Amino acid sequence: MVTGDSRQQIIPPTRIHVKAGFVVYSPETGERSIIILDEGELTAIDTTGGDRKVVFKMHPGDLVGVASLLEREPFHLTIEASKDSVVTLINEDCMESELKTLPVWLLAVIRTLSRKTRKLKASLYAPATSNSLMSLAAYCGNLPEYTDVLMDDVIREFGWLTKVKEKDIQEDIKALARRRFIELKKEGAKVSLMVPNPFLLELFVDYQRSIEQTGSWEPFKLSIMQKKLLVTLSTTNNDMEMDGPSWLSFLAERVKEINVTDWIRIQKMGWCTETTPGMFRVNSDKINYYLTALRFETNIRGVL
Amino acid sequence: MIVTAGEYVCLESDKANTLFIVKSGMIVAETQDQSSGERYINFGPGSIIDELSLLEGAPRQYTLRAAEASELIVISKETLNDTLEQKPSWITSILQFLSKRFHIAEENKRKNGLIQSLPPFLYIISSNLKKSNTNKLEVKALLKELQALAGTSVENATKLLEILQELGILKVQDNVINASSLQIVTILYETIKYRALNKKVSPNILSMTDQMILSTFLKVARESSSPRPGGICTVTTKQLCDEAKKSMHGFTLTTRTMSSLIERKLLFPSATYDIHMPIEEIQFFYADFDKVMDLIELNRVFPLLDKKLI
Repeated sequence: MVTGDSRQQIIPPTRIHVKAGFVVYSPETGERSIIILDEGELTAIDTTGGDRKVVFKMHPGDLVGVASLLEREPFHLTIEASKDSVVTLINEDCMESELKTLPVWLLAVIRTLSRKTRKLKASLYAPATSNSLMSLAAYCGNLPEYTDVLMDDVIREFGWLTKVKEKDIQEDIKALARRRFIELKKEGAKVSLMVPNPFLLELFVDYQRSIEQTGSWEPFKLSIMQKKLLVTLSTTNNDMEMDGPSWLSFLAERVKEINVTDWIRIQKMGWCTETTPGMFRVNSDKINYYLTALRFETNIRGVL
Repeated sequence: MIVTAGEYVCLESDKANTLFIVKSGMIVAETQDQSSGERYINFGPGSIIDELSLLEGAPRQYTLRAAEASELIVISKETLNDTLEQKPSWITSILQFLSKRFHIAEENKRKNGLIQSLPPFLYIISSNLKKSNTNKLEVKALLKELQALAGTSVENATKLLEILQELGILKVQDNVINASSLQIVTILYETIKYRALNKKVSPNILSMTDQMILSTFLKVARESSSPRPGGICTVTTKQLCDEAKKSMHGFTLTTRTMSSLIERKLLFPSATYDIHMPIEEIQFFYADFDKVMDLIELNRVFPLLDKKLI
């Protein structure tokens, strides 16, 4: 079995008998220790602000101060004996000497539990998303089109929604403005923000999401031939309904290199959709999505 | 325990009371529970896995598979008990305390996650309803936008949809969200936002008396022939006072009791308003029927929402 160094000298805990009213621990002393109640009753009192508020009572077997000792979390309560009691105090030296005798795996269990708890607690205050630029784009995409909104209001509201820090929001606003997805205006001391085309922000969010998940984005992976097909379909009447082979020959007249695989790809990308069994039409929304993405590629990539 | 590459060590949710320590190699953990945002986790040499199975017999947290030939040390419950028997009892108490504290932190995160998901959830629904000027939104679109805006999990979004359905604000049918009114989600969002950003109660939250007066006003307006909905409706002072006596257990309306609603521009008097004048001198009151109805609905839902979330 993997164990720690058992030759280490163990410092024993302190066992004390106290009378009712005795202060076992006071935050002012700053001496950290785990307090275990063996007999009697202890009361935890909050004395901040001058008042004495009873927070909880301890009964035999209860203990306090573990987080304070193990993780140096501040412990702001006063522990007072409400009855004559017997108390065991484990100070830092005592605990360390005992922990050193534990098997390594048990020490690892203690550390893992502490680390996981710390991580969970920290996550309560962490931003809701790791990609704050994508998040801000999603937020701005929902602002009313061509309407000036005060930048301070945006920072306040978006910060509240996502817990992203003000400094990061300001950087992200600049990043969106550089891409020309939003326009910034300054009037006196007030800066306002306006979204001229929310659709571009929608595309940008999709781009960011896809890059995060797969490292690439479909509209920017199109071959020259696929781009030709896209332009051809964009000029095709979307009332036109044909079966697969007819579409293939229709497109082959305009883009010679096309084959069946390309036709399947067109369907997968949603450029043509099956409206009735076996019959297809151009999906102008999808065509517009890809065309706009290509038109604003430099904005989306941020390489203006 | 020696495992070859690709071999499964255990399956998620299996009953267990042992802990694994990776001595060599690499173990891949897969979980269906994506609340942590991670689906796959790699455990290399020195990692410990499933400490809660050892301490409290919790089911396996992950499905474990060896990414390469690996060696694991398995610590059993018996080994733990034997070790603790030789140690002072407070070591056991510390372990119990730490695992209890971990569960409290987990629960807090779960609750907090749901509470914090509410504002982005309402923001997305509200702005989409405003943009489309309909009271419909596809669930798929909501989930996609929520993920991008606030990393909201499908689990939390689904739970919020359930809560708002229970409160009668939304209805989900064929994966389409229908809001009970075009404005209610927006008013709810603005009210929560006001409370959070200004640290005080929103003016949309009314006193019990104001709510009762407005409810009485709506009741009379519904029974009268004045134009509604979407329009201004008018109620005579006599009708309002009579109904208030009936439905508010003999409550007598005065100009003073009406003043808060008049000042907040929720009800408008027909004559120039003065707090000391007898109410009979005001011939009638008028108001935006839909606005008043949404406000009453908001005041019904708001306290219930807090309870449901907590």
